[in-house]
Amino acid sequence: MKYLALVALTLCSCKQKLVEVPGPLGLPPLRVERVATADEIALGKKLFFDTKLSIDKTISCASCHNPETGFADARKVSVGVGGKTGKRNAPTVLNAAYWRVQFWDGRAGSLEEQAAGPMGNELEMNHKPELLMARLAADPEYGPMKLTLERVLFAIASYERTLLSGNSAFDRYTYGGDKTALSSEAIEGFKVFGRHCVICHTIGPKDALFTDEQFHNIGVGVNAEGVLVDQGRGKGEFRTPSLRNVARTAPYMHDGSLKTLKQVVDFYVGGGNSNDHLDSQIRPLDLSGRERDALVAFLESLNGVEAK
Amino acid sequence: MKWLLALVFVVCGCAPKAVEPPGSVAGQVKFAGQVAKAVVIDMEQDPQCKKLYPEAPREEQTVVVGPEGTLANVFVYVKSGLEGKKFEAPKTAVKIDQKGCWFEPRVTGMQAGQALQVTNSDPVTHNIHPEAKVNREWNQSQAPEDGPLSRKFVQPEVMIRVKCNVHKWMRSWIGVVEHPFFAVTGGDGGFEFKDLPVGTYKLVAWHEKLGQQENTLVVTSGVKARLDFSFNGQ
Ligand code: HEC
Ligand code: HEC
Repeated sequence: MKYLALVALTLCSCKQKLVEVPGPLGLPPLRVERVATADEIALGKKLFFDTKLSIDKTISCASCHNPETGFADARKVSVGVGGKTGKRNAPTVLNAAYWRVQFWDGRAGSLEEQAAGPMGNELEMNHKPELLMARLAADPEYGPMKLTLERVLFAIASYERTLLSGNSAFDRYTYGGDKTALSSEAIEGFKVFGRHCVICHTIGPKDALFTDEQFHNIGVGVNAEGVLVDQGRGKGEFRTPSLRNVARTAPYMHDGSLKTLKQVVDFYVGGGNSNDHLDSQIRPLDLSGRERDALVAFLESLNGVEAK
Repeated sequence: MKWLLALVFVVCGCAPKAVEPPGSVAGQVKFAGQVAKAVVIDMEQDPQCKKLYPEAPREEQTVVVGPEGTLANVFVYVKSGLEGKKFEAPKTAVKIDQKGCWFEPRVTGMQAGQALQVTNSDPVTHNIHPEAKVNREWNQSQAPEDGPLSRKFVQPEVMIRVKCNVHKWMRSWIGVVEHPFFAVTGGDGGFEFKDLPVGTYKLVAWHEKLGQQENTLVVTSGVKARLDFSFNGQ
């Protein structure tokens, strides 16, 4: 007993206490280590939209996470400095603050760790941290702030933590008590979603992130010969993306291979693409034309309103 | 001339034993019976498919009979008699197109190891699914404007039923054999296998609805044998 208490004490002392910030309608509270100041958030926003972050000053975070297209990229795969292309579609940064791990394959832990990724990535901004920090130090706008890399990353991450998007028609219907918020077609789609999709795109009793935050192989990225071209986390598994704002963030899937929500629904109806590691939950669905359309209508009801 | 003759000698000299020139077989598949009425296809699952038939809905006739009673869409092939002989798979691909929310053609014959190319000419997503039992079963989604798929069946298998996982009315059949002696009958019900080595064979004619028939045939050197099949109504 004494021993147990000791362990508990040790655990508490090494874990920083997290602060809970309430989320918008339909989203859980956000746990943060430290609440950023308004200045830090403003700095983060400035950096997010600043092309000086890239080696040749042509690309900002917003080039690939465009607010006009739901903070995602409307191109199949993103284009970095010098026109170089990666192999994945840029997901939205809306609500990214909630993810336990970042990226399609979950290779970054926090938003801070994530933000360092694109800066250094030669296919994206291609800017080594030392060079970037030297540039910012010499810059008339940023120089006087005496920034450290840590503060830069915290500022960007803190701005991203303000990009929360809830309060969609779905949220008002499900959590806000407004039974008129969804059309009858969307309600029918909601039922279909409950039967076939919610197992991975989770909806909770008080809030919904539309992801189990697990990795699955649903058969995306199987080439013409039947070979998986991107192993993702391993075995062709990718993190279940949230579906909030999905109608604003075409194209879809880690490789941007599906252009419309109708194509996504037909992809699932068809049971995806067979391959050696297909998730057992993915199999052909027997849905009528009406149910397919209803499912699209439901997905379209998930567009949120950005807080602030 | 002299030079050519010399060459022929050399070639003959190399062969371990003289091979008899092959024979061939030709025939016709006929249907004697009542043809059932065509079935109207309800494309409710996909309004986009429906739109492709603005005048009248598509009808399906599985027993396609020509004016002379000839039967189309029959897969005729040599079932046995070629054991131990090796035939290299052709380098050209066999093609199946998804067009009008329909598979074209209805019946496809190919050699094991030959490439199958699948295209989508429709404004909708298809998901072709050959329900292979001997070969590996697979299915693949093809959105509009997606490029062609290229797959192979490595084992002989007659027949593989093909469906589309997105549109339940779509059907097609693939016959995979280890040699080039197969054919799919057209409107004239005819088939012909040229250069069939001398020997005794079992020929089979298969139809998706009418079942299959088997016949024995002896092929002699340089002779064109005749073999007809006749199916009766269901
Ligand atoms: C050249 C285009 C490009 C640029 C520039 C870019 N990103 Fe990304 N971003 C991507 C792509 C592509 C992915 C997905 C990569 C993957 O998962 O492998 C991604 C993923 C992310 C994610 C993970 C989201 C999730 O759901 O996992 C966040 C957060 C993010 N980027 C933020 C940023 C920030 C902050 C910047 C600027 C410092 C930035 N990005 C610059 C293309 C870009
Ligand atoms: C087995 C878990 C699972 C099930 C069941 C599932 N999904 Fe997904 N979903 C995923 C994963 C994983 C991805 C990302 C796959 C990838 O890119 O490789 C995804 C991607 C998506 C996307 C693309 C999102 C984007 O931003 O690119 C949509 C839309 C979607 N799913 C909708 C649905 C619908 C509708 C259903 C029900 C018919 C469904 N999902 C069922 C796991 C699942």
